[in-house]
Amino acid sequence: MNPFSALTPIVLLGLTPLVLMLVISFHRSHRLAVVISLVGMALPLALLAGTATSAAPPLAPLLIIDGYALFYIGLLSTATMVVVVLSYGFLERVPGNREEFYLLLTLATFGCAVLTASNHFISFFLGLEILSVSLYGLVAYLRTTRTALESGIKYLILAAASAAFLLFGMALIYADLGTMDFTAMTSVLAAKTREPSVLLLGGFGMVIIGAGFKLAVVPFHMWAPDVYQGAPTPVTAYLTTVSKGAMVALLLRYGQYGGLLDYDSVASVLAVIAVLSMFLGNLLALLQDNLKRLLAYSSIAHLGYLLVAVIAASREGSHAVTFYLVAYFITSLGIFGIITALSDERKEADEISDYRGLFWRRPWVSGALSLMLFSLAGIPLTAGFVGKFYVLTAGVLSDLWALVILLVVSSVIGLYYYLRIIITMYLSAPEDPSSPLSATRRFSLPEGLVLAGLTVLLIWFGIYPAPLLSAIQAAVGSLA
Amino acid sequence: MLELLWLIPAFPLAGFVALTLVGSRLSRPEVAYVGAGSVGLSAVVTLLVGLSFMAAPPAGGSFVQTLWVWVDVAGFRPAFAFHLDALSLTMIFVVTFVGFLIHLYSVEYMMEEEEGYSRFFAYMNLFVCAMLTLLLADNLMLLLLGWEGVGLCSYLLIGFFYKDEANSQAASKAFIVTRVGDTAMLMALFLLFAELGTLDIQALLERAGQQFQPGSGMATAVALLLLGGAVGKSAQLPLQTWLPDAMAGPTPVSALIHAATMVTAGVYLIARTHVLFTLAPAVLTLVAVIGTLTLLMAGFAALVQSDIKRVLAYSTISQIGYMFLALGVGAWSAALFHFMIHAFFKALLFLGAGAVIMSLHHEQDMYRMGGLRRQMPFTFWCFLIGSGALAAVPVVTAGFYSKDLIIWNAYNSEIGGVWLWAGALAGALLTSVYTFRMVFLTFYREATEWVRHLMPIHEPGPCVRIPLGVLAVLSVAAGVIELPHTMGSLTLFSGFLNTALPEYHGVHASYGTELLFELLAAAASLGGIWLVWTLVMASPGSMERIAAQPWARGLERLWFSGWGFDALYDALFVKPWLWCAKVNKDDFIDFFYRAVAFITETLHFVASMTQTGAVRWYATGIAVGAVVTVGLVIIL
Amino acid sequence: MSDAYLPILLIFGVSALNAVFMVALSHILNPRRPTPQKAMPYESGMIPLGDTRARFSVKFYLVAISFIVFDLEAVFLIPWAVEMRALGWSGFVAASIFVAVLTAGLVYEWKKGGLDWD
Repeated sequence: MNPFSALTPIVLLGLTPLVLMLVISFHRSHRLAVVISLVGMALPLALLAGTATSAAPPLAPLLIIDGYALFYIGLLSTATMVVVVLSYGFLERVPGNREEFYLLLTLATFGCAVLTASNHFISFFLGLEILSVSLYGLVAYLRTTRTALESGIKYLILAAASAAFLLFGMALIYADLGTMDFTAMTSVLAAKTREPSVLLLGGFGMVIIGAGFKLAVVPFHMWAPDVYQGAPTPVTAYLTTVSKGAMVALLLRYGQYGGLLDYDSVASVLAVIAVLSMFLGNLLALLQDNLKRLLAYSSIAHLGYLLVAVIAASREGSHAVTFYLVAYFITSLGIFGIITALSDERKEADEISDYRGLFWRRPWVSGALSLMLFSLAGIPLTAGFVGKFYVLTAGVLSDLWALVILLVVSSVIGLYYYLRIIITMYLSAPEDPSSPLSATRRFSLPEGLVLAGLTVLLIWFGIYPAPLLSAIQAAVGSLA
Repeated sequence: MLELLWLIPAFPLAGFVALTLVGSRLSRPEVAYVGAGSVGLSAVVTLLVGLSFMAAPPAGGSFVQTLWVWVDVAGFRPAFAFHLDALSLTMIFVVTFVGFLIHLYSVEYMMEEEEGYSRFFAYMNLFVCAMLTLLLADNLMLLLLGWEGVGLCSYLLIGFFYKDEANSQAASKAFIVTRVGDTAMLMALFLLFAELGTLDIQALLERAGQQFQPGSGMATAVALLLLGGAVGKSAQLPLQTWLPDAMAGPTPVSALIHAATMVTAGVYLIARTHVLFTLAPAVLTLVAVIGTLTLLMAGFAALVQSDIKRVLAYSTISQIGYMFLALGVGAWSAALFHFMIHAFFKALLFLGAGAVIMSLHHEQDMYRMGGLRRQMPFTFWCFLIGSGALAAVPVVTAGFYSKDLIIWNAYNSEIGGVWLWAGALAGALLTSVYTFRMVFLTFYREATEWVRHLMPIHEPGPCVRIPLGVLAVLSVAAGVIELPHTMGSLTLFSGFLNTALPEYHGVHASYGTELLFELLAAAASLGGIWLVWTLVMASPGSMERIAAQPWARGLERLWFSGWGFDALYDALFVKPWLWCAKVNKDDFIDFFYRAVAFITETLHFVASMTQTGAVRWYATGIAVGAVVTVGLVIIL
Repeated sequence: MSDAYLPILLIFGVSALNAVFMVALSHILNPRRPTPQKAMPYESGMIPLGDTRARFSVKFYLVAISFIVFDLEAVFLIPWAVEMRALGWSGFVAASIFVAVLTAGLVYEWKKGGLDWD
């Protein structure tokens, strides 16, 4: 088999922004840009169906396209398509150029794809930077808005700082091991000929910092709420799903199968980070009034849960991580999608008070939103419950009792603020007739279809997780 | 054909989903088509499945359809799997057919309500779905899902007219009282899983037979706990108090849930897990004793009620008592036979009573009715047939065959005896007395002022009359599939059920004795009718004279209140509980919870202070985090 | 492992505490009497000329970034040009792809007026 044919999905993802750029140069059309990005995301997906089963050799030395990478690429590009659909309605309402948004979005997804398939520090860093640089632009896309600009600057400065740590960590590891190739690194580490040196451990620590920033886990989380709030809502959806998902995929691949977690100190640091994230995330979200900020905090906590399964470092653990991530994707895209779709020119529907009495005006929407929130809280018969259940099982099977108990305790705190939103929706609408009701915009057909699809998937995977799980098992099985 | 099994609960579920989602936009006829049609389709499929099951019985007498496995963790793998055998087939046949007739009836009955038409059918469809799930479940987990589902629907439908607070309270009462039993049942499930390592019913029964010694403590405990669940759901002593109050729901609900189907779930549970009960003979005897006591207690209570639906409610409790008695003496198929016949005639009686109530503008007091025989001849004849079946009028009604079988088995079985038989016979006499008291008060006598005021009274429409007619035919004719030895000995029903349940062996079985006992039962039935005739019709006022006696007045008050169980439980449980709650309103435990909430909130405020919004502070955070992380990685 | 580096951790802690202590102490103890001269930024004795935060036209940045991009293009292309024969056709294809991507960017910049000063 021609090794380049395995690369086709990634090449197609890379071509999409190029084509977009050329098209925009000559002809501006919002619709056309959306169509091109959707096709660009869908094409590799269609190809994946054909190649997913064939075990591809690593494309030495930069990329490795195995079933695992293909699964994640599929997941990330599907999520991007959802974001594209949501962005269309959103961008229609704002002034200025709209087409470049999709350019940056597809470019970011290309970076994510490189990240999930990377087999080398170079491709790791390249993928991460392609992602990050596109995100700077996306976060500050509404450049005439104060908040968007503020959050763009914050993200830029802090992400650059964390990338510096990451780069330094890579250098340290290279200094110690003499290689940047993950496969070679894994075999050197597995041999365990000597005690790990300070250089190596320091390097690991720095890589954790770089990864931790992208995942927004404590103590590298502080940017999250400000950026989430200030960024355009579709970008927030993207930040919380695709950009984190790619990093989780990488962490899982090398944390677990690259021997990183064989070091007790790395595992314990991750455990500390996980516990801090769960508690601090949930505590910060507790009385938050802004829905986007609240979801930022909640996402910190969810990544903490996810780390528990990563630390479990077992086959069940990696299944759990992937399942949890899929459930989290569906839920987050759904919630941010609803926020986007309910906002209009006058006001963004991001305050919890905007949702007061929503049920009596929009029973379908608030029903879907309630389901999403139930899923985040881990209520049975939603995908979120099954995901959390697998995470707990993975923790228990690896005897991580302390982490499991802390996870359950912090989930209880989480329940409070999810239910608070739901209750708000079912309260009677505000009495004052003079105050204009926000969150009243009608959905367009594509938005409605996408959101309905996400809701159905949420329930479907909650009741019948078996097909998804077997797909995940096949994908993770191609690792190691 | 058997593969269609999953469709049977799927149709009502689809109906429920459709009505919930778009019910408010549909017109009433559309709602009726969806609501009654879904159950009708599931009845048709039941018929197809049943025919192919009987034409070519699957190996081992049962067919299992596994839809999917929910989760699979450490040996705990509850599956969505359906188990079809003679027992569940009989039950689902009754549920879907009687269910469909009652849905059809509701189409007209609920028409006069101003709102909630689609809500009503949505709940009813959900109920049918949950009930079918309960019956078809292959494992106790799924059974529990159905069990809780029917409980929920019962709650929702009793409180259907929720604007009247009394109805909501009746709903809560039904839910809470049955919850006592449900808790026992849940404990039984935990115990069984811990002991036997599975919740699949067939595997469980097999392992129980191997691992439990007959009469051992564990078998007894499990059987007792399961009995607790059955007693709660089936409104038997001591958890019977909720059923009379449950009549607050619309009459079709009383017919479907609180007469024909849900309340017999306890009977089904015991029959389904009969191996466990056979292993605990003491509990089995207890089942028989509970049944006998309940049927007598409820029979007396039914004698003095004035509300027509409450008479029927007590009569339901009493008839389920018969079923429990039959289970207790090991006459499994007799219990199921009575269940089926009872579903027919009790649904008929409720629907007939509903027709009367509807015509009289929601009047339920029998003393204000009377003389309706001429006003509503069709309803009258149907009601009369149902009453005949309930009172077990010999030879011509189905109720005679089913009830006589139980009375005879109460004597004839190894576990049975003279006392149980005497109780059952006395119960038969009571049954025919209270039944025909109801008939005479409602349909005979002079028309009361209230009835005259409402004249002319019209017969209900076709949607009501068709179910009444069909059920009336069944109440007469369904008895012939199981005839006693003295009358030709036909055992179609028990022969069919014996593929799923153990066969019943009598001990005394002599032809002469059986004939004698049958004659006694017939005499009890007819004697009861004669007694009421003389008291109510032949010499009007004699009842009032008896009631005026001081001893009779006390007795009447006692029976009217259902032997004062409500007051007893109120004094024994509710009041002390409320007192405890009141005393402990501000106790230490509350303080603990408040402290948890307070600490959490405080921590939230402390944590919020770190989110300053200043980018240099965030950068500092990353720097400090970096130092700590790297330090920890190196030092740990 | 851990014992050997414990002194380093102690050093970390002691120096951090020391720094915080000294800054805090001077902050508490020093007298504050600001005059305009004192509040002025210190530029090695020179008198400051206006505000340090002068605004540039955004076009400077555009030109600068274009310069960097094409400067780096040269950095990548020169090694390839030196070893062109050794790298063969695959090297040529790779270099062409690289140039093509950059050209696409240039086309975009051009069409959007990124190269016009006014």
